[in-house]
Amino acid sequence: MNSFKYLQPKSLQDAGSLMQQNKNALLFAGGTDALGLIKNNIISPENLVNLKQIKGLNEIKYTPGKEIKIGALVNLVDIAAHPVITEKFTVLAEAANSIASPQFRNVATIGGNICQRPRCFYFRGDFHCIRKGGDLCYAAAGENKYHCIVGGDPCYIIHPSDSAVALLALDAKFSIYSDKKLKLVSAWDFFILPSVDPTRENILKPGEILESVVIPEPDKGSKSRYIKFMEREVFDFAVVSVAAVVKKSEGKIAKGSIAFGGVAPKPWHIDALNKSLTGLSTEEENITEFSKKTFTDASPLEKNGYKIPLVRNLLKRILIDLTV
Amino acid sequence: MKDKSKSRVFSRRNFVKGIGTSVIGTYAAAPVLSKFSMKIFEEAETESKTKESLSLHVNGKKVSVLIEPETTLAELLRNKLKLTGTKIICNQGECGGCTVLMNGKAVSSCHLLAIDAAGSEIITIEGLMSGEKLHPIQEAFIEHDGLQCGFCTPGQVMAAQAILIKNPKPSKDEILQGMSGNLCRCAAYPNIMKSVIAAADKNK
Amino acid sequence: MPRKIVKTKYFFEEDYRETIAEVSTDKYEDWKNNDTLKVVGKPVSRIDGYDKVSGTAKYTFDVDLPGMVHARILGSAYPNAIIKKINIKKAKQLEGVLEILTFENTPKIPWYNNSTFLFDSHVRCEGDEVAAVVAESECIAEEALKLIEVEYEQLPFVTSSNGAMKTDAVKIHDNGNIVGGRPAEYSRGNVDEGFKEADIVFEDTFDTQVAVHNPTEVHCSAANWDGNKLTVWDSTQGVFAVRNVVSASLGLPESDVTVITKYMGGGFGGKLETGKYTIIAALLARDLGKPVKITVNRKQMNLITGNRPDSTQSLKAGIKKDGTLTAMTLTSYSAVGAYPSWGGCSGPFRSIYKCGNMKTTEYSLMINAGRARAFRAPGHVQGTFALESFIDELAEKAGIDPLEFRLKNYSETDPNSGNPYTTKLLREAYKKGSEAIGWHQKRKATGSDTGYLKRGIGMATQIWGGSGGPPAYVTLKLNSDGSAIILGGSQDIGTGTYTFLAQVVSEVLEIPMNKMQVILGNTSSIPFGPESGGSTTAPSLSPAARDAAEQMKNKIMSGASAVLGLPENELIYKEAAVYAINDKSKSITIPDLMHRMHEQMFITNGARSVNPEHYAINSFGAHFAEVEVNTETGKIKILKIVAAHDIGRVLNKKTVENQFHGGIIQGIGFALMEERILDANTGKVLNTDFHTYKIPTIQDVPEIEIHVVSTGDNLLSNTGVKGMGEPAIIPTAGAIANAVYNAIGKRIKSLPMTPDKVLNALYS
Repeated sequence: MNSFKYLQPKSLQDAGSLMQQNKNALLFAGGTDALGLIKNNIISPENLVNLKQIKGLNEIKYTPGKEIKIGALVNLVDIAAHPVITEKFTVLAEAANSIASPQFRNVATIGGNICQRPRCFYFRGDFHCIRKGGDLCYAAAGENKYHCIVGGDPCYIIHPSDSAVALLALDAKFSIYSDKKLKLVSAWDFFILPSVDPTRENILKPGEILESVVIPEPDKGSKSRYIKFMEREVFDFAVVSVAAVVKKSEGKIAKGSIAFGGVAPKPWHIDALNKSLTGLSTEEENITEFSKKTFTDASPLEKNGYKIPLVRNLLKRILIDLTV
Repeated sequence: MKDKSKSRVFSRRNFVKGIGTSVIGTYAAAPVLSKFSMKIFEEAETESKTKESLSLHVNGKKVSVLIEPETTLAELLRNKLKLTGTKIICNQGECGGCTVLMNGKAVSSCHLLAIDAAGSEIITIEGLMSGEKLHPIQEAFIEHDGLQCGFCTPGQVMAAQAILIKNPKPSKDEILQGMSGNLCRCAAYPNIMKSVIAAADKNK
Repeated sequence: MPRKIVKTKYFFEEDYRETIAEVSTDKYEDWKNNDTLKVVGKPVSRIDGYDKVSGTAKYTFDVDLPGMVHARILGSAYPNAIIKKINIKKAKQLEGVLEILTFENTPKIPWYNNSTFLFDSHVRCEGDEVAAVVAESECIAEEALKLIEVEYEQLPFVTSSNGAMKTDAVKIHDNGNIVGGRPAEYSRGNVDEGFKEADIVFEDTFDTQVAVHNPTEVHCSAANWDGNKLTVWDSTQGVFAVRNVVSASLGLPESDVTVITKYMGGGFGGKLETGKYTIIAALLARDLGKPVKITVNRKQMNLITGNRPDSTQSLKAGIKKDGTLTAMTLTSYSAVGAYPSWGGCSGPFRSIYKCGNMKTTEYSLMINAGRARAFRAPGHVQGTFALESFIDELAEKAGIDPLEFRLKNYSETDPNSGNPYTTKLLREAYKKGSEAIGWHQKRKATGSDTGYLKRGIGMATQIWGGSGGPPAYVTLKLNSDGSAIILGGSQDIGTGTYTFLAQVVSEVLEIPMNKMQVILGNTSSIPFGPESGGSTTAPSLSPAARDAAEQMKNKIMSGASAVLGLPENELIYKEAAVYAINDKSKSITIPDLMHRMHEQMFITNGARSVNPEHYAINSFGAHFAEVEVNTETGKIKILKIVAAHDIGRVLNKKTVENQFHGGIIQGIGFALMEERILDANTGKVLNTDFHTYKIPTIQDVPEIEIHVVSTGDNLLSNTGVKGMGEPAIIPTAGAIANAVYNAIGKRIKSLPMTPDKVLNALYS
């Protein structure tokens, strides 16, 4: 690994200014993604700004009936096992529990999981691709089996975070430390498409820090679930994933929110789809027909067309599971 | 397939350009870093900007060292403390071969900065022994032949220990989940499973 | 100890090895079923278990010598290029860097069958060795690699066997891209006549992927010189092979080179060959006068330390209405990488079924990618997938149950030579396996399962050589307290060699296992023996161990006869002591005997016997798979694998079952997820780590049931052991593919059977 200085601020303010003062600095939480990037020479930061000494960032605060606030430094293992999260925010607990391995979840944080860089072969390899400031997306005409089917141009990554997909379905807000203040941004607005900037996955500017995620408590009677489809049973990234929060009433969906992973360069949701869930009758045939009508605008690359039936089927399955 | 913004799509000619800069350009321009003006792992007498002092407990003993910040916990254990029972297999946290316990939890020591283990209690495979006597989990791995080449075994044993610390009487699913971060290329998995179940049964 | 020198041959990794070897001609009483034995065949715990579970086992990766320095290799970034210039100045200036080797300052040591050099100015695949840096620490060596400036002239490149076959293809070497200049051909009978006799002629094509060994211990060596004498620690499957290559490469007498492998972290064939890195470490250690350790990192291992080559196999067969095979042809293309290697896969095709008219044509083609090496049952794994998928297709054409079809074409003698088999218990394996999976009760008509989770059952057949053979030796030393030291001509790669050698000696001499020390993997102290490959270690070494032990017993008996003054036929050997049959008061223990004879140690040398002439020696078996295919996601879930095999005698129930599990699970990896992804546009490998090169986890493991249908093959050797390491993996992918077809009615003809392929088949 290349050499770096390890800076240990005690407050967000210090962390923010260290990020601004030091050229080539990287925010460092659990480090599971950062170390991979450094070891593989994808990035070579001269300064790591460790966030783990900052008090309060690893806390979970639940306000019954209203919301839960999860500090950015909370370990995934603690989210997966948290009694309130497993009960009322099930989709997030399931997503957190699906990430990598026990060893990873013990160290990795939710903030790091949200802000991790893509897993695209070319981005992670020694290709000076568009995401690293080059001119090309090597995947577009290369090995693109795992790449996106919507929102790609000009870079066809998928966003790798499981927790972010769950948070999007839960309509979470991200609290960002910026210029000595905290501001709230919706999960949808936090992530950006390559057409906005192909070298970044989110809106964070240098000096800005993801401080926590704030999740409104789903309506009473809602159920939620995360289905992560992997090629291997476990310890793998999602090929496609679906997160859903659904409230059923009298054989119909009263309210629903769906988010998708593995289909787009950011955690994906479709407004029209979420709206049309309301009033959807939950008979299997009906749900099947509904699912078939999604992703009609997808434009797959040469090797990822299979993701269209896959995502439709996963949508169908999660809706059936949540409404039986 | 739709026509994707043509100018950016791959062609063999511009590949040469792209890759050339990444390999020759970046490598040649990499700065000569100051840490290499001194030997790695040799404890500098004088204070150094690039070294960090670190105290932690390893297998019950207090250890204080000066290390470069980029030193991983596995490198500290193996190279400096000579605890070579901990193996490095993928060096990316992708296989569990380097698993040790940090404050009772399984972590991949190859993918954790040693400095992030400051103040913690680390237990390695060597720390599981009582003198020359094996821990019951280790005995179970022999009895049930939970290994072949043995190279991933210390990591498997430590992952098993982490499961039993969390729950001395784990269910089969808990064991499967707890062992899911440890790859075994010989694929001794069925016997690894038997070994952990047997070790857990001793607690019942 | 009667011996003779014979000319003999035996099967090793896809081909026959001819050799002239010294063999034992002693005949010993046949061992009967394992039930009648005391130690052999029992579930004995590994004697090296303590070292491995305690973390005290020292692997090459753990070697740490005083003053040791560390080397790393710079690999080519390009698939095909000429190195115009290497500037090592900046790298050399880095404090802690000791020396840098490149093609400009290193002796031209020929490599890969004289097709290149240790360092070559022409690099022919990504990762090809460009330079090596040795430095005070691993970290410095790695940073120094980044400071080496290489100016390449990039050349056009080839990434597929299709591409390599084109008339205008880039030539990887001057003499063209076909290894050996032409395809390997085999024929028997007359295929044209055979096809004329057929009622149905059918053909199909199957593809298999490149798979990478990826053992857990990375390839590594340490080298240390004492004057002219060199000691090399190496993570290898063949200490003598490494010693010979090292001494030849460096011009040293073999007596000056010692190669040590006490423990090694997996090989699977990838460590059968000497690595360039080993020579590099030796050269650097000599120059510096310091021990040098060199490790190849995980990424480089996925580039240059070998792989199972891909294959495209076109099969054609003629059958009569009743299913009888009348003719079979196979044409295969296999890309073996940038240097000559072997990618044939016709072994099972030629050998399993009775068919008099046969022709195979196999192209091994060079491309600009990492070179292939033997990988657990080379050729047979990919060949069996294609053949056994094809056989199921033929059975369906003929309207016959797949198991019936196989029995219909069962070959009682070896179709290649016409020779009888020493044993062939394939029929028994079919019976046992089909009963265990519920073939006749549970297997439904193809594609008839309802619901979105569809279950199916399939099977595939296994054949392999694995007879082992001479030369292989074991030296036995009996200490004055009755404990024993066994020196085996081998190394233990995790297969249990340490343990079975002790078991065999314990069986004969009745010395308890805990009074046994086994020494392997040191060329200066052990007798000669084969590489750990080809499923030959146990069948080669265990008879030599028995020979050594039986000789020791004879020595003890003859000593006891002299000391007790009784003829040997009035004495009996029991529990490591000798008793007079007719006079219970007269007996002597081994320590007493040695004391009376003024000896401190008895020594015997055991040798392997020659394989019986005019017999074919093969292992056989069948895997039966039950799968569940999720037709919504394309995911194949394996519910159960039943493996039934004829492998001769089982030496150790525990380690044999374990190795079967391992082979089957690696077979599942090959069937479902493992695949090297080579980017055709750039010639670079995209997946060089464990997240992207996926191998099975503990949760990918189904229920596995092992049945060994054989006892000892007493025609083969005095222990009757056939090798089983490779048979374990051979039929798994084929059985799964047939089960998937049975489940969904769509045949996946390309490995690995990933969800995208299944979905594409279902939704096309």
